Amino acid sequence: MKISIRGFLLDMLAFQGLSKQRQKRIASASAEPMPVHPVNRLAQEIHPDRLRLIVHSVKDETRSSRTFRLVPDRASGFTALPPFRAGQYLSLKVAANGVRITRPFSISSAPYEALGPQGYYDLTIKRVADGFLTPYLWDNWKAGTAIESSAPTGFFYHEPLRDAHQIIGLAGGSGVTPFRSMAREIVHGSLDAELVLLYGSSAEDDILFYDELKALEREAEGRVRIVHVLSCEKVTLPGCEAGFITADLVRRYGDVDQGTLFVCGPQAMYDFSRGELATLNLPRRRVRWETFGEVKNIARHPAFPPQAVGTTHRIKVQVNGVSAEVPASATETVLVALERAGLEPPSQCRSGECGYCRALLLSGDIFVVPETDGRRAADCEFGYFHPCSSYPLSDLEVRVPQTP
Amino acid sequence: MADRSYEAVVVGAGNGGLAAAAQLAAKGVKVLLLEQHNVPGGFATSFVRGRFEFEGAMHLIADMGPPENRGSVREFLEDDLGVHLQWFEIPEAYRLIQTDPAHAMNVKIHYGVDRFVNDIASAVPGSREAVARYVDLCLEVVDAITYLGESRGKPDRKVLMSRYGNLLKTAAYTVDDVEKRLNVPDRALEIFHALWTYLGCPTSRLNFTVFAAMMAKLIVYGGYIPRHRSHEFTSAVEARIRELGGTTEFNTRVEQILVDNGQVTGVVTSKGERIATRHVVSNASPTLVYNRLIQPRSAVPPVALQEANARVNGVAGFTVYLGLDASPQQLGLTEYSYLVYESGDSTRMYETMKTLGVPRAQASSCLNNCVPDCSPPGTSIVAITTLFRPDAWSQVRAEDYVATKNRIALGLIEDFEKATGAPLRQHIEEVEVATPLTYARYTGSHGGTIYGYEPESWDSLLPRMMALTAPRAVQGLEFCGGYAFRCHGYSSSFMSGQTAGLLTLQSLINERG
Repeated sequence: MKISIRGFLLDMLAFQGLSKQRQKRIASASAEPMPVHPVNRLAQEIHPDRLRLIVHSVKDETRSSRTFRLVPDRASGFTALPPFRAGQYLSLKVAANGVRITRPFSISSAPYEALGPQGYYDLTIKRVADGFLTPYLWDNWKAGTAIESSAPTGFFYHEPLRDAHQIIGLAGGSGVTPFRSMAREIVHGSLDAELVLLYGSSAEDDILFYDELKALEREAEGRVRIVHVLSCEKVTLPGCEAGFITADLVRRYGDVDQGTLFVCGPQAMYDFSRGELATLNLPRRRVRWETFGEVKNIARHPAFPPQAVGTTHRIKVQVNGVSAEVPASATETVLVALERAGLEPPSQCRSGECGYCRALLLSGDIFVVPETDGRRAADCEFGYFHPCSSYPLSDLEVRVPQTP
Repeated sequence: MADRSYEAVVVGAGNGGLAAAAQLAAKGVKVLLLEQHNVPGGFATSFVRGRFEFEGAMHLIADMGPPENRGSVREFLEDDLGVHLQWFEIPEAYRLIQTDPAHAMNVKIHYGVDRFVNDIASAVPGSREAVARYVDLCLEVVDAITYLGESRGKPDRKVLMSRYGNLLKTAAYTVDDVEKRLNVPDRALEIFHALWTYLGCPTSRLNFTVFAAMMAKLIVYGGYIPRHRSHEFTSAVEARIRELGGTTEFNTRVEQILVDNGQVTGVVTSKGERIATRHVVSNASPTLVYNRLIQPRSAVPPVALQEANARVNGVAGFTVYLGLDASPQQLGLTEYSYLVYESGDSTRMYETMKTLGVPRAQASSCLNNCVPDCSPPGTSIVAITTLFRPDAWSQVRAEDYVATKNRIALGLIEDFEKATGAPLRQHIEEVEVATPLTYARYTGSHGGTIYGYEPESWDSLLPRMMALTAPRAVQGLEFCGGYAFRCHGYSSSFMSGQTAGLLTLQSLINERG
């Protein structure tokens, strides 16, 4: 077939003119630099690589919990906070006792409170007496303290494309913080959902936001309902349930045939809740679990090899352009071993989920917590792993990318 | 003083950058591949939500072919690089569903010359001969381009004229211009050029050569995907680069490309490290390189900036990723690839990509219908993709972003449901929505563009190829990826890395004397 579009001669001239036409277009274009596209600017505004914040104020909530209100550090050029979705967290980067580590904390204030020039994030943190970080925060974080953090991140939020209108929240201890954010956002009118919150505490004076939640409940006109569940022996507060958050309680207060369950609390509560919720036979899409950081006491995990308990290993690591060899215990994550050695590896969720710590395992064996194995299939195939949810079972050789 | 030095530095580990670095490493060049993100691939990636691992961008890779009919991507990967993966052939080209009653269409098309022609001919009686001629023309275009490539920019004019005249005679025209001369019934054309969305340019402006080359490669070699998403493909190449002696570094953004006296002398990274090199292969676009990266600014020739400014950044992506708790059978989804279009009018559909409404064209896929065990039993993965002009998103405010993306995502889900009858919304276990912002965030692409520069005739394959033989604006700087001379798409951007790698190798050899 011989094709002709406008006639042989014109077609050939058009072909021969292509290069000239291109040169003409180029010659008539501006030689001024092109500004950054607004979409790229917006991407930076919503997802900055890091945040520089200042502690604005500190408020005691209970004898062991405090709320730190954080605002942009204007001296570092930050004027506004990125928006977030109720339930998301910040991964703080803190040099505690000379060791730089990260820790994820849910934002307890509401998204609307972060907007505008007066915007803030609240982090409500429970002091863990034998913890590594929280006693340090208690002693050192005061109004004016400068802080480095990730932008808000995480997947524990109400997603209207997916979730039911009714959120059935199951909170344990300081796991109430994301639900406080949701409740405030609902009352403000900027989250179109209904919240039924079952909030478990082990003592009456450990309850966070008791008065505030009551007030929100009143203001919400039916869209927020709070049920306190107390596991202590003596209960004096009115209208509380005694014991733990059972399937029965969930069924009594929530619309289990329709609602979406959101669970946030300590590991012990998850172990209990898993058993309880299993009896409700809910489709997985209607139960959402917040990650809770590293598994406590990995030695007790049923899949953890018992002979590994108590063993120690060496990790040869290349990170930040530095080669080092660090000691590691089989019952601590690779991430913790690297942090302890002062190597500042990247990390964010510390729960195996986000992939931010992804690193290359060149040799050696690791134990990966099956419940928090967020690796991509091909990462398993090509030797990449998540140090935050992996434990050394032998000497290791790893390559860790620099923290961006 | 530079901290380290390399014979070549590749900026960005997208498809093009990976291929370039692998090509150089395979030839024994001391090469460093720098990537700002913590995974390779650029858009060619994957991510995990719950029990699902989603494909970031790939619908298919062209020019692969089965082992017994190898395309150039398979030859390059397996023979030149030694990368062997299990590839899954996509079962059908696409099901095209046009929803406007006046243009209603619901046809299933396969690749393979005979099947492609048969499928269109059965859908549009009387079109067989004309469609077959159109396919032949596409095949001839590819043969001619192959000849041009093999002649290394110095084709024998007589051979070109006698054997490949049709390439020359159509090279300056749009798809619409050429199709007007082919006497193919309109309905058959709507089916034939339905994959215009893969090139992100309506047929009224899309250059014919670019379109014909893509169609010919697809019809002859079919489409393939790897078992474990793009991430498996890009990880395999990244691993191979290291095996071949190359160096790869993640979380490392190139902030500056240093130029002295018109010659690349090094790069500066986001870690403040200065790395000496005389050769940079950039997977980042000329727009980005000439506007932001080259230092000092005075080293940017005005004509290079003019060239970057003259070219039109292509469309940005928008994808809804769904992890569903129902099998494809339960959902009634039988195909891998669904094109859900309002009509056959690409120009009109492209117009809807200029505002923040729900674009009237989507290219969607049900991954399980190609890779059955890509998600747990009883579940499936559906991805709905559409396109926007980047400027459509310019006015979005940060606090309205989620509502905006969710509104559009919902509209796309509803359109898919209406077209296929699949009740997606009752089964959503995981959902993620990527917008132009998402693509801009992870790759830095201008406005979230995923498709390189628009392949209009003046900036299509042949003029870009001809420009390749011209002197470089900056000595030692080559480009690869979707913005490079082959135009975009997985196979084109990947194979452009091979070319950029070989051009760099040639310069290195010349320098060594």
